[in-house]
Amino acid sequence: MPCDDTNMLEVTGLSFGYTEKNNLECIDLFVKPGEFVALMGPNGSGKTTMMRCINKILKIRSGDVRIDDTDVLRLSMAEIARICTTVPADAPLDFSLTVREFVSLGRTPFITSVWWEKEEDNRIVDQAMWDLGITKYADRKLHELSSGERARVLLAKGVVQTPKVILVDEPSAHLDIKYKVQVMEILKELSKKGLSILIASHDINLLTRFCDRIALLSKGRIVATGTASEVVTKESIKEVFGIEVEIVNLNGTVYVLPTGSVMETTG
Amino acid sequence: MRHEISENTVGYDSNSVSKTIKRRTALIVILGSIAVFILYIFSLTMGAYSLTFTEALGQLWEAIITLGNPSEMGGKIIYNLRMPRSLAVILVGAGLAVAGAVMQAMIHNPLVDPYVTGISSGASFGTVLVTLSGVIVASSYSLYLMPLGAMIGAIVSFMLTMTVAEISGGKAMSYVLGGTIIAAGLSAGSTLIMSFSADRMHNITEWMFGSFANIEWQESIIIAIPVVAILTYILFNARKLNVMLLGEDQARYLGMDSRTYKRNMLIIVAIMTAFCVSFCGVIGFVGLVVPHLCRMIVGGDHRVLIPSSIVVGALVLLIADIICKSTITGELPIGAITSVVGVPFFIYLMVKEGKKYAM
Repeated sequence: MPCDDTNMLEVTGLSFGYTEKNNLECIDLFVKPGEFVALMGPNGSGKTTMMRCINKILKIRSGDVRIDDTDVLRLSMAEIARICTTVPADAPLDFSLTVREFVSLGRTPFITSVWWEKEEDNRIVDQAMWDLGITKYADRKLHELSSGERARVLLAKGVVQTPKVILVDEPSAHLDIKYKVQVMEILKELSKKGLSILIASHDINLLTRFCDRIALLSKGRIVATGTASEVVTKESIKEVFGIEVEIVNLNGTVYVLPTGSVMETTG
Repeated sequence: MRHEISENTVGYDSNSVSKTIKRRTALIVILGSIAVFILYIFSLTMGAYSLTFTEALGQLWEAIITLGNPSEMGGKIIYNLRMPRSLAVILVGAGLAVAGAVMQAMIHNPLVDPYVTGISSGASFGTVLVTLSGVIVASSYSLYLMPLGAMIGAIVSFMLTMTVAEISGGKAMSYVLGGTIIAAGLSAGSTLIMSFSADRMHNITEWMFGSFANIEWQESIIIAIPVVAILTYILFNARKLNVMLLGEDQARYLGMDSRTYKRNMLIIVAIMTAFCVSFCGVIGFVGLVVPHLCRMIVGGDHRVLIPSSIVVGALVLLIADIICKSTITGELPIGAITSVVGVPFFIYLMVKEGKKYAM
């Protein structure tokens, strides 16, 4: 149901640099309510940096980031956390928090009491855990779960933040193929409920299958945006990822097959 | 996969920390407090002037109702010497245990103790400097010079560590590395000074292995005020400690100003640790082992871990002090007792958990 005209997340002319040189240059990007958008690019193209600019972990050099029509620079970290969730690639595994304790941490931006969560917080946590099928792990320790199960726990922690925007950073990096698809299906479902989702990943075939739009990021610039079939072409992938691919169209979805060799081009 | 939570999930516990764990914590806190109270009375019976348990209880009661002016000899000994000493033991035990738990959460490494930021070496250096430089003279204030030296040494070394850590990026690991290198420098300094004046070694070794023998009311109260205040503060911040377990970045995703919070917590814990060590010396392993013991029983949520650590820390050190006092040949150094018990436990932890925490 991507229909609304307003943009939930809107980035205009964003530039950022760790040093003098800009790592991100004049980025324009938007995500509408209910839209599932990919920020696709090879390692080191600036995807994670971009995410960290949106949620104000990094201070942008110029440009504008607006979430729900509010300039993030005018919001506190806690206010941002109430409308925008960042789902990290993995959770730190030391210390023995249970799954339920861990997911409950997602309510942090809303908790005003000193000690325990309110009834309402617990209800939201329950619902999210139930929806993502992790209720049965509630009392297990986080490090006892497989990485596929943990990926769902991380998503649940993001969902209980009851956000409008979800930023997902490389969710599938160390998951096997089944759990990669599962994570994408969960995100797709969430977007159908009206959430705006921006996912940073280099997993081209997953993104073309699930995302409504793709923004192709290369060396800190967005070189193409549009639907999967518009963005993912032999030429664009060759240019950005540096490898020859064949484009396959299966049931209306484009996939890439890496047929070229890297040895030839770099050697 | 998607369903509303239905009626047949009734019985499902929807609290962040499950009821079982809360019950377990309540049990530890209540039973532990009772045990601490009983052992406190028991510790009052021990010493050259021996009393029975009921006598000690009676004298304690009399000391309270007379507001510290018991009439009998036994009462005076209990009130003036044994009560403040055992009170200090309880406070230092609780303080070191919680300091350890907080440090482990902040530094993000379960195998660190409250001394990781160089506090113990700094305190030792301060004590050595004061004692062996001949500053101590036979004045009525000289008793306080050693603790003062320890306190200043601890604070200075912590500030050095903080500075090094902050300059080098302020990451959790920077604190560990900074603390290690500062501690190494200060230990070398202590050794050098000591090698010049071996004749005054005895004072130092007593302090270095920890002892509560010289604690009276004044010392006890000087320890009590900051320790109780800081423990209360940490109790009220326990939920935020959980968020810090996610690491600095992920804590910020949840809207927490994690860098400032971490820095404040480190300073507060350093102050508490400095007060703990300044009068009674460096008591090892309590701050390392007790949080783990509690984590095994109640888990990692600080809202249950901190209260448990307070009680168990007090209990463990009180037991250690009773062991020290129970020998006929004079007192044993309490730091040595905690280490003798702590080392095997630590090795057990390393073997059992070390692989998981490899870093």
